[in-house]
Amino acid sequence: MSASEPSKSLKRSSIPGQAVLAKTFHWVNLISLVMMIASGLQIYNANPVFGGRAGWHFPKVLLLGGWLAGGRHWHFAMMWFFAINLLVYGLYIALTRRWQRRFVSSSDIQALQVGRNPKRKMYARHRLVYTAIIPVLLLAIATGLAMYKPAHLYWLSGLFGSWQTLRIVHFMTVPIVVLFTVVHSLLALKVGRFRLIKSMFS
Amino acid sequence: MYPIQSPRHLTRRQLLQWSGLSGMGLLLGGCGATLFSDRLNQVVEPLNQTVEELLLRPDSPVPEFPISAIEPDKLLINTFDVTPQIDPTTFRLTLNGEVNYPMQLSMAELQTMPLTSMVIRHVCVEGWAAIVQWGGVRLRDLATLVQPKPGVRYVYFESADGYYESWDLASSLHPQTLMVYQKNGEPLSVDNGAPIRLASPIKLGYKQSKWVTRIFFTNHLLSQKGYWEDRGYEWFAGL
Ligand code: HEM
Repeated sequence: MSASEPSKSLKRSSIPGQAVLAKTFHWVNLISLVMMIASGLQIYNANPVFGGRAGWHFPKVLLLGGWLAGGRHWHFAMMWFFAINLLVYGLYIALTRRWQRRFVSSSDIQALQVGRNPKRKMYARHRLVYTAIIPVLLLAIATGLAMYKPAHLYWLSGLFGSWQTLRIVHFMTVPIVVLFTVVHSLLALKVGRFRLIKSMFS
Repeated sequence: MYPIQSPRHLTRRQLLQWSGLSGMGLLLGGCGATLFSDRLNQVVEPLNQTVEELLLRPDSPVPEFPISAIEPDKLLINTFDVTPQIDPTTFRLTLNGEVNYPMQLSMAELQTMPLTSMVIRHVCVEGWAAIVQWGGVRLRDLATLVQPKPGVRYVYFESADGYYESWDLASSLHPQTLMVYQKNGEPLSVDNGAPIRLASPIKLGYKQSKWVTRIFFTNHLLSQKGYWEDRGYEWFAGL
């Protein structure tokens, strides 16, 4: 799908192609994020953010690590893959100006507000949603680091007020990411059918 | 302060035994193979520890909180076994190992040394944290008394309940690493580690031994690194 003229690119004749770097980013992001969530929930269970030790615990099938120490090992191993992947991708989209072409722009906002073409609107919605998840991923890293090294990064931890706020914000990135995954998949299906999905995964 | 003892439906000992049986570990805890996460840890932990050591600023104190920020109800009590009762009048803190002047100090002697007070965040590996005031003697002042020999790189802490810990020397000599006998303006309670315990803003709670009876300085890490570390938790545990 070539970004500047999405309506054209979605015609049957054009086979959507994704840049190798974009596909790699997408795969590594997906896998590392699943592992960050599963190991994070393992950490959560040691002392639930909501309700403390008496609070509700996540079922074992969702967890990674077996116990708190194992969950932490996974979390602090996968964080490198997750964060470096995001950083490399950030550099890539900045250097290739992909940032301007492949993410939500003022023309998408315009299409959403006054546009009449339903396909164009759906596409704008799709771009808006996948652009909006990026700050959420960055927030997960920022709050994660603020709890991993609160003495060293005291200024970062301080931005969030109390420790409980910090934990809640970090944790809330999980339901947001899960919800995003559902909406993002549905929108991709609507915008480009299965061919678009396949173009990102193969 | 200490991490949870075991997953909810298994005792820790069971878990460790089972995960030791090859293959069985893979069946435990969802996809959580304890055996595999230990392996993973052997690969990644050296990297994380190097980063933590680089981050450590041995001489600059961590900014403190105002007295009004203290959270008296938030400091939970964690103990791995028993709560020892120690008579503070006969108690002696032993300092020895690779030092020029090994000594034993009574509480009265420790209390004549300069008192340092700090209001810091105590962070537990379980996820909770509490802002606490601690008052006591700087470990670096005690080190100045006993004079560790040049090759010393680690400090061990032995507790009356059998708990043990080891720290890197730089973190031990940090100006906010204290042997404390006061908490939130009052004498330290038995549950919190009386007569004397470790406290510091730069390490996780399980590093901060309670009921410390002996501090010894050594050139090498022993095969036993610490109660929770020997069961799989990270050793450096820097904040
Ligand atoms: C570089 C990135 C990250 C770092 C450094 C990091 C660090 C941490 C730390 C230190 C904790 C323990 C918090 C505590 O003591 O309460 C934690 C918990 C957790 N993390 Fe992360 N994290 C990162 C990314 C993520 C991501 C991307 C997710 C998922 C979207 C995630 C999900 C969780 C969850 C669910 C918990 C349990 C919440 C709690 O018990 O407080 N983390 N993380």
